[in-house]
Amino acid sequence: MSDATVTAKRQGPSWLILPGIVWMALFMVVPIAMICYVSFWTQTTFNISSTPTLASWKQFFASDTYTGALWTTVRIWLIVLATTFIIGYPTALFVGLFVKSKTLSTVLLVVCVIPFWTSFLIRVLAWRPMLGKEGAINIILMKLHIISQPIEVLLFTELSVIIGMSQIYCVFMVGPIAFMLGRIDRNIIEAARDLGAGFGRIFWKIIFPLSLPGVVVGAIFVSVMVLGEFATSSALSGRKVNLLGNIIVTQVGSLKWAMASVTGVILTVVMGMVIAAFLRIVDLKREL
Amino acid sequence: MTTQTAIFRIDGVTKSYGGVKALDSVTLEAGVNEYLSLLGPSGSGKTTLLRVIAGFEVPDSGRVFFQGRDITNLPAHERGIGFVFQNFALFPHLTVRQNIAFGMANGAVPVSAQETAQRTQAMIDMVGLTGMEDRGVDQISGGQRQRVALARTLVMQPKLVLLDEPLGALDANLRGRMRNELRAIRERMGVTFLHVTGSETEALAMGDSVVVLDRGRIIQRGAPDDVYSTPASPDVAHFLNRFNLFDGTLVDGKFTGAFGTVASPKATRAPRDVYAIRYDRLRVMPVSTAAKGPALKATYIANEYLGSSVMNFFEAADGKVVEVEHHLSLGAPETYEPRQDYLLTWAADQAIVFGREGK
Repeated sequence: MSDATVTAKRQGPSWLILPGIVWMALFMVVPIAMICYVSFWTQTTFNISSTPTLASWKQFFASDTYTGALWTTVRIWLIVLATTFIIGYPTALFVGLFVKSKTLSTVLLVVCVIPFWTSFLIRVLAWRPMLGKEGAINIILMKLHIISQPIEVLLFTELSVIIGMSQIYCVFMVGPIAFMLGRIDRNIIEAARDLGAGFGRIFWKIIFPLSLPGVVVGAIFVSVMVLGEFATSSALSGRKVNLLGNIIVTQVGSLKWAMASVTGVILTVVMGMVIAAFLRIVDLKREL
Repeated sequence: MTTQTAIFRIDGVTKSYGGVKALDSVTLEAGVNEYLSLLGPSGSGKTTLLRVIAGFEVPDSGRVFFQGRDITNLPAHERGIGFVFQNFALFPHLTVRQNIAFGMANGAVPVSAQETAQRTQAMIDMVGLTGMEDRGVDQISGGQRQRVALARTLVMQPKLVLLDEPLGALDANLRGRMRNELRAIRERMGVTFLHVTGSETEALAMGDSVVVLDRGRIIQRGAPDDVYSTPASPDVAHFLNRFNLFDGTLVDGKFTGAFGTVASPKATRAPRDVYAIRYDRLRVMPVSTAAKGPALKATYIANEYLGSSVMNFFEAADGKVVEVEHHLSLGAPETYEPRQDYLLTWAADQAIVFGREGK
C-alpha cells in the first residue's frame, strides 16, 4: 500500500466534512459578513439604507461612551480573567492533583458544576440579595460587629460585576486545568522529587508547564464569555457599567443596526486577537 | 546499627495498606557497589520496598539507613538516592538534555552551570544518545527513553540506584542489550543497584545476589546459583519457574507422591511437603521401561521451542502438567507422539525435597 492510500484511508472520504462546512457557512461566515456589511450602512433616526458610509465607524471612535465601553470591556475582562485564574488554579490543583481518589475528584468537579443546574439569570440575580445594602453579606458582617455601616460599594458598581462574573465563569477555568493536572503521571512528580526538587521547583518546572494547555483553554473559555457579556453587567451594575455587549443590546433595542454592527465587528476583532494571542502560548494541537 | 560496608540497610520495615501488609518486618542490607536483584511475583511488596527506600512511602515501623545515616523521616528530595521508574517517568515537556540536566539545577547538590553542561554531555555520550540531545522525549524510541531515565538518575552520581522493573517495558532484544549496559555502567561508576524484577531470568542474570520476596517477606537471599540450585522453600522454587513441584507426604525420610515413594534423607524444612525436580533433570522413557527410582507415567501433550531448548509438556494421571526441558546443546530433541503415555524418571538425588520434618 502506498503512502497516499494510507493518508486517504486515515482521513476518510472528504464529503463527510460537508455538513460542517454548511453549518459554519450558514451560522458563522454569512452572519459575520453581514455584520461587517451592515456596519457601513447609512443610519438615519428612523431609517437605514444600504448606501455605504463610514459615519457609524467615525461615531464610534469619536464618542467617549463607545470607546469607554471598549476600555471597560477590556478592563473587566482582564480583572475577571485574573480572578478566575487566581481562584481557579488552586482549586484545580486540589481537585486534579492533590485528591488521589478519582471518585472524589469527579465528585468535586460535579460540585463545581452544581450552580449550573439553575438558569444563568437566576445565578446573576442571586447576587443582588447577597451584595445589597441590606444583603446577606452586609447583615452578617454587621451582626459580627466587623462593620458598623453597611458597605455600599458591594452592589451596583463595577466591583459587583466583577464578583458576579468571577463566580459564574470560574468553573470554566477550573475544569480544563483540573483535566490537564489529572493527566500528569504521578511518577513524574516522584521522579522530580527523587532528583532533589522541592515543591516549589516541581511546581514551576513540572506541574505548571504541564498544566499550561489547560490554563489556555480555560482562559479562552472565560475570555470569550466575559467579552461577550451584557446580562451580568446590566443586572449587577445598575446600568452603570457598560460593556460592548450592553452597547449592542441598547443599539439593537433602538433599531440602530449600523452602530450595533460596528460594535459587533469591534467585539469580534477583540475576541479574535485575544484567542490568537492565547493560542500562541501553547501548541494545543500537540498538547491535547 | 549499621556496618561500615553497608551502603544501605533497612531494619524491620513494615508497611500496610488498608490492613494488608505490603511489607512485613523486612530487613535487608546491601554493600558498596553491589548489584542486588529483588525477585517476587506481583503484589509481593517489591515496589513498596523500593518506594520506602526512596522516600515516597513512610514505613509504619522500622528504620531505613543510608550511608550510615537514619533517613527514615528524610523527605525523598533530600535523600540522594536514584530511582528509575518502570514507565521511565520522563518529563514530557523537556528535551533529552533538559531531562538529564534537571536534577543538577535543583540545588540539593550545588553544581555550577558549566559543570552541569559538562556532566550532562558526558552522560549523554555514555548512554549513547549523542545527537538526540534536543529531541523531545516523545520523539525517541523506548530503548532510548530508558537510557534517558537512567542517565537522568546517574548524572546525579548517587551511591544507590533503585530500579523498578526498568526493563519490563522493553522488547526482549533491547532488554538483553540494556542488561549488558546496566552491568557495564555499574562497573564504571561504582554504584549500588537494587533492581526489582518479576522475571526470574533477569534476577538470576543481573544480581550479585538475589533476594526473593513473597507476601511482604524476604524468603531467601543468596548468590544466583545458590538460589537456583537450592531454593529455600517451595515458594522460591515456584517463582524460579524451573521446577516441577509435586505435593505429597514426607514421613521418616521417605517422600510419597504421584511417582511412588522415594527415600529423601536430606529434606529442607518447610511448612508443607513438596517434592521439586528441575525441568531439565527429567528423562523421558518408553512406558514399558522398568525404572529404578522415582517414575511417573504421563501423557505427552505438546512442546514449545525456546531457541536454546525445547520444553515438552506432559500430563500426569491426576491432571498435573509436568514440564521437561531438553537443552539442544545435548543433541536433537526426540519426537514424542501426542496423547501417548511415557515414563518420566529422574535421579532421586537431584530432587529437592521440602517437608515439615526437614532440617
